[in-house]
Amino acid sequence: MNEQGAFLTQSINAILEGAGSLLPELMLAFFFLLLVTLDLFRSQAIKKLLPWLALTAFFATLLIQILGGYTSESVQFLNLLRSDGLARYAGILFSAAGIFTILLSLQNKQLEERQQGQGEYYAFLLMLVLGLNLMAKSINLLMVFLAIETVSIASYILTLTLKEKGRAIEAGLKYILYGALSAGIMLYGMSFFYGLTGSLNYTSGDFWFSLLQASPLMVTVAAILVFAGFFFKISAAPFHFWTPDVYQGAPMPVVALFSTGPKMAGIVVILRFVAAFSDPANATAFADVQLFLGIAALATLFIGNFTAIWQQTARRLMAYSSISHAGFLLAGLLAFGTSYTTSILFYLTVLLFMNFGVFLFMQVAEDHFRIKRLADFAGFGRAYPYVGVMALLFFLSLTGLPPLAGFMGKLLVFSNLWEAYGLSQDKMLLALLVVGILLTGVALFYYIKIPFYLFFKGNYTDKNLVISLSDKLLLALFAMPLLVFFFKPDLLLTWIEKLLTTVR
Amino acid sequence: MSLILSSLVFTPLLAALVVLVMPGRLQKPIKVVALLGALLQMGLAVWLYTRFDGSAFANGQTGYQFVEKLRWITFSLGNLGNFQIEYFLGVDGISVSMVLLTGLVGVIGVISSWTIKKNIKGYFLLYLLLLTSVMGCFLALDFFLFYLFFEFMLLPMYFLIGIWGGPKREYAAIKFFIYTLVGSLFILIVMIGLYTSVIDPQATAWQLKLVQDGMPAGTEIILQVQQMLQDNAIHATDMVRTFSIPAMMEADNFVPDSLLHTLSGHQLWNLPLRFIAFLLLFAGFAIKVPLVPVHTWLPDAHVEAPTPISVLLAAILLKVGGYGLIRIVYPVFPDGAAYFSVLIGGLGVFSIIYGALCALAMNDLKKLIAYSSVSHMGFVLLGLASLTTEGVNGAIYMMFSHGLISAMLFLVVGVIYDRVHNRMIQNFRGLANKMPAYTTFVVIAFFASLGLPGFSGFIAELLVLVGGFSASDATGMLPRWLTVVAVFGLLLAAAYYLWALQRMFFGKFWLFPDLREKAVITDLNAREYLMLVPLALLALLFGIFPHLLLDKVGIAVAGFTELVLQNGQDQLSLILSSIF
Repeated sequence: MNEQGAFLTQSINAILEGAGSLLPELMLAFFFLLLVTLDLFRSQAIKKLLPWLALTAFFATLLIQILGGYTSESVQFLNLLRSDGLARYAGILFSAAGIFTILLSLQNKQLEERQQGQGEYYAFLLMLVLGLNLMAKSINLLMVFLAIETVSIASYILTLTLKEKGRAIEAGLKYILYGALSAGIMLYGMSFFYGLTGSLNYTSGDFWFSLLQASPLMVTVAAILVFAGFFFKISAAPFHFWTPDVYQGAPMPVVALFSTGPKMAGIVVILRFVAAFSDPANATAFADVQLFLGIAALATLFIGNFTAIWQQTARRLMAYSSISHAGFLLAGLLAFGTSYTTSILFYLTVLLFMNFGVFLFMQVAEDHFRIKRLADFAGFGRAYPYVGVMALLFFLSLTGLPPLAGFMGKLLVFSNLWEAYGLSQDKMLLALLVVGILLTGVALFYYIKIPFYLFFKGNYTDKNLVISLSDKLLLALFAMPLLVFFFKPDLLLTWIEKLLTTVR
Repeated sequence: MSLILSSLVFTPLLAALVVLVMPGRLQKPIKVVALLGALLQMGLAVWLYTRFDGSAFANGQTGYQFVEKLRWITFSLGNLGNFQIEYFLGVDGISVSMVLLTGLVGVIGVISSWTIKKNIKGYFLLYLLLLTSVMGCFLALDFFLFYLFFEFMLLPMYFLIGIWGGPKREYAAIKFFIYTLVGSLFILIVMIGLYTSVIDPQATAWQLKLVQDGMPAGTEIILQVQQMLQDNAIHATDMVRTFSIPAMMEADNFVPDSLLHTLSGHQLWNLPLRFIAFLLLFAGFAIKVPLVPVHTWLPDAHVEAPTPISVLLAAILLKVGGYGLIRIVYPVFPDGAAYFSVLIGGLGVFSIIYGALCALAMNDLKKLIAYSSVSHMGFVLLGLASLTTEGVNGAIYMMFSHGLISAMLFLVVGVIYDRVHNRMIQNFRGLANKMPAYTTFVVIAFFASLGLPGFSGFIAELLVLVGGFSASDATGMLPRWLTVVAVFGLLLAAAYYLWALQRMFFGKFWLFPDLREKAVITDLNAREYLMLVPLALLALLFGIFPHLLLDKVGIAVAGFTELVLQNGQDQLSLILSSIF
């Protein structure tokens, strides 16, 4: 009895000590509950307030995490969650993504016109970002699973927001089926790891030490199974099949969030997971895992880039573009022995602005001008040069052309790959480098399609419609960082570097 | 620090910004602003050319003049030390001729654009951006900065061809964009390899506190840093890796265990990695030159582009390819240049002959001239591959002279196209009867291009051929028969030009019946004289007084060939010894 009591006090103390490090998550959870409760009231005034409350929550978490100081360095919460610099930077990105999603939602016609479910839409956005934060902080396999499921459940519901549309149902169903499958596979792989090591804490030394003793084949199989779940979240091959359908069925702001938030969180989880593989001492033992990741990255790059060529709608094009970016990120993760974390985080930051910019542009085109297919864009850019030029900037940045930040991101990732190739002389890295760079040529071919229609084809006569000032300002907001981070990338890089080194 | 080079680069950009804020209906003022921007740039270029001291290299200075150097981007990447990108501009004898050419052709292009009707504002905005990026390419001495301008060139060009071009403009624009982008991706791969392997001794000396921060390090300090580097005495975190092209030119600045170090002994497919890097970089610029067999984008782009853009493309954009070879590929990888000289010279000669044969077969006058460009740019490669001072001088002379003459050729095609909206050779007969002045300029352009003594093309071809012939004795780079084959290119050039002249201009006047309705056959107007006369005079001027150019270029070229030959032989033997 006494023992139990002592254990209980100990646990409670640990929880109380660690709780401070979870301030952003606690705030998100609080606002989630608040929104759900307020949504019960029928008053229109309260309903109008809900998006702004959600926005407040995201701004608050963003500020807290930028300022820092709410947690002492490297606090672990019950061996489940670690609040380090990596998690903090990722949290900043997630909060920014949350803010952008709400800003896009407020501009979205279809969401605005919806009669019911306003509150739950914004509540689930909060829950999704909460899950993302937990993903980035997890250092325990079970916690990773829970966090991923939190994100997934929120995602399923958000996909179905516009359930009156036929596409939404199809998208939601596909999403749930693939999600359930990959979650199952991942859980199966985790059970292997637990069996092999007797521990779920995958960042601890014991965990990896036990793995070195285990049969390499078993470790490889277990790792491949676990990566199924991660790949699903970042939409990497061969778990990318849901992406085009979901991108087609979900509301545009949600698609923009899916293309950035879960991808960033998934990458952070993989970053933590492969950290031990990157130790040169273990390199030979885990060669197969590296090989698998390399092949997956190559496959993702090829599938993403080459399938995108044949797409006829803007949404599906962006889906495959998102897959190809997952490939670049995976390739960047394999540059072991270099400071690839900084480059990846830089790339993710740039991706955030590029994707939200493109999706806002697509939302404007779709909402006001009923543009869905690529050919529908004909002449749009000539009629609305400002929007057209902004779209051009985003697409060129996605391609990775200077003078835009997308180029810097790719340059950093490829520099790491080259450096890693110099260290290990692993031909796989060279293949990734060369394939990655040359696929940029393919990428140009499909990204330039929309600007091509915008400026080269037809004449758009429907000049009565006006694009709202807020849309224009938002486009500029997303475009500005792309220029700034190209000409002064050191501003961001030094900051990331500082966060990664001081809070560890 | 004088800001003359920055002004050269950014004057058109400034004009572009002015155009951007002007309302689109003010068509005349927009044109005037564009013209002023181009004129100002030309004025600066001419001023720079006259002030440039061609003998400086001989006096033991570094060779770059009017240098502007600022720290732009610096960041540290953990255990890889610091990275540094500089805003680094400078001219030497090699670039100064290209700067002058860009200034001159830029103005001619604006005058030629005067008749553009569609979306004037957008057109001149893009045109001025193009001028900025081309000028930036010729002045940048930092690889990153160069690459930025090099890539940015594609975008305005893509839209200029795709919106204001001919009937198949969309296809031509996308083909141009993808082709040249793939070329620059090859360059990007090597650029990444280079900057991760090369340190800036100056900045590293600051980092190591050998000299006070910001103070220039003397030669001994630089040598000391390089020696320390080669002895592995500098810790990786103290190294300052750089994109600076002059730093990449010194083998001692390569980090000892890096892949591109001469002694790394690293191979891929049984070729030293440095050779592969050389070939990739070469391929990247060869697409731009363009060299057969990667030239197929050029005829399409030329045929579809509006006249002023064709002029710009032929006269200055192609030169960026040749310039890149001379500025970057050869000095940074002299070993590859020495090892592959026969291949490069051979490709050059192949381009000369193949381009000329294609030109002979064309019915479209513009296509004929596009292929003649391919043929003439082959001479640049031949001269460069010879690595003799005559040959390299000839290569630069050829680039300059071809810039003037091809501008004239495309303008001449534009003249007939404006009047008849057709340029198929077989549709015309005896134009000389109706357009005597026009015919005079066509004859001048054709003869200048085929290398008639008295025009600049003659000097260029002569120098290249002399260089090519002497190469087997002087440098051992090229066998004699290659140059002998190249001479046939001259013969073919005479054939296709004279044949076209005979078919279109001589005999009794006749026009294809379908064209007669819309055709307004008038002779040259004042605007056309304004473009053609200066170009013809310049071609003549540089044909009669070659020293006007050679005095500026010669000493830099002598330094260049000596450096490439010397380093090439040394590094080649090191590379081969580290492998076998």
